[in-house]
Amino acid sequence: MLRALREIEGGMKLSLNAAGRLGTLRKPPILESFLRQVYFTGVTASTGVVLRASFLGVLIIAITMDVLDADVDMAVKILLLVVFREVGPLAAAVVIILRSGTAMSAEMAMMRISGQTRALRYLGINLYDYLVVPRVAGVMVATLALTFYIQFLAVAGGLLLSPFIIEATFMELASRLFDLFTPVDFYYSIIKSLLFGFAVSACCCYHGLNPPDLTQNAVPKVVTRAVTQAAMLVLTINAVFAYIVFGILFFGLVTAKV
Amino acid sequence: MSAVPAATPRPAAQMALRYSRHGERREIALAVPVGSVRRVELPDAEAKSSFITAVLKARCEADEELEIFGQPVRNLSAGARQRLRARVGALSPIIGLINNLNAWENISLPAAYHGKPSLAEVATITQEVLDVFGIDPRGFLVRVPDELGKLERKIAAFARLMIARPELAIIESLNDGLSRAECARVAGFEQEYRRRHPAGTLLFVDTREE
Repeated sequence: MLRALREIEGGMKLSLNAAGRLGTLRKPPILESFLRQVYFTGVTASTGVVLRASFLGVLIIAITMDVLDADVDMAVKILLLVVFREVGPLAAAVVIILRSGTAMSAEMAMMRISGQTRALRYLGINLYDYLVVPRVAGVMVATLALTFYIQFLAVAGGLLLSPFIIEATFMELASRLFDLFTPVDFYYSIIKSLLFGFAVSACCCYHGLNPPDLTQNAVPKVVTRAVTQAAMLVLTINAVFAYIVFGILFFGLVTAKV
Repeated sequence: MSAVPAATPRPAAQMALRYSRHGERREIALAVPVGSVRRVELPDAEAKSSFITAVLKARCEADEELEIFGQPVRNLSAGARQRLRARVGALSPIIGLINNLNAWENISLPAAYHGKPSLAEVATITQEVLDVFGIDPRGFLVRVPDELGKLERKIAAFARLMIARPELAIIESLNDGLSRAECARVAGFEQEYRRRHPAGTLLFVDTREE
């Protein structure tokens, strides 16, 4: 219990510090580190999701039409809702946690254990500036970009490939998509993916910089803890966000009626 | 009545560093005048580590006394401590190279972060230092620390130290892990430091067991 409270407090401090120091991104080595983070988190991750994301769209349309016996209208509506509001940001967050969260927490734990963070401090380099800020900002940008990429691929894949398995043309699906698309879906996924990126990177940085002990054995413990907590954070944010937006905004506070 | 000229006291040499440690079988006392080159041998690795840590942090434990450039470090304000730290540099495993940066990034990182000296100046100093030790920068600067030998790592750290221009430079266990031929090459560190900082203070620290 005490450890959990300490972790929450530490995570909050780290997040506030990172948010307050975003201006240091102008410094050349920090900017370089930020760009490197965007490249490794966003660009290199993008190649692996092409097929999976494309088939995701097909699956959603096919299942909706086949299992739920829905028409094209409903299928496209569900594709939009699921891909833009839920699956897109969530899939990007999962990719980021598995690819970059693990690498980031392990790298920082290794730096801490091998005394490289101490070396940085002796060189007068602030750890938040050099290690945390570029990673947090880089992962946020990369999560956003990856979310858009997955959404685009899933929707495009769904529209292009679905005509092979259902009775609907590409034009039919595409025209319904443009009719039904609203900017809310777009803003919703921007805010959500930025929050996911922030939570994942802050959580992984916190655990990387605070290993349970300073031995090599601490690295797998750090990675496990960082990944588990990052996943839990993402799911919690997703649930809270969905409740706030759809629960309160659209229907008012939901109360149980006995 | 004849006037006897009063004997003018000789001014005491200003000390760059004064350090002492108390305790049974833990006694250490050393003083390093400004502008000198000194070699000290400490009893063991623990004593060496706590000495270097104290100097780099400008902070000492209860059983230690430390003065840097005549300023006792106990009860210093954070700002004064920071200013004092900026005057001290070290070539030590405590301030090792960063593993995921190549040699050039390691050398230029502090300057790039603090914004001084300029990267052009950093490149010039690095080139000069590498020339002194006969190292080709093209192959050397792009390699990460794991791809460098012990001598090359020390030279990279030395170049970084020269760029920082510390008034007091501490070099820890210079010959540690080096062959006889390599030891002869790193002996040039002293001359190179002297050439760049004629008024600087250089302190070589080793342990008796080494």
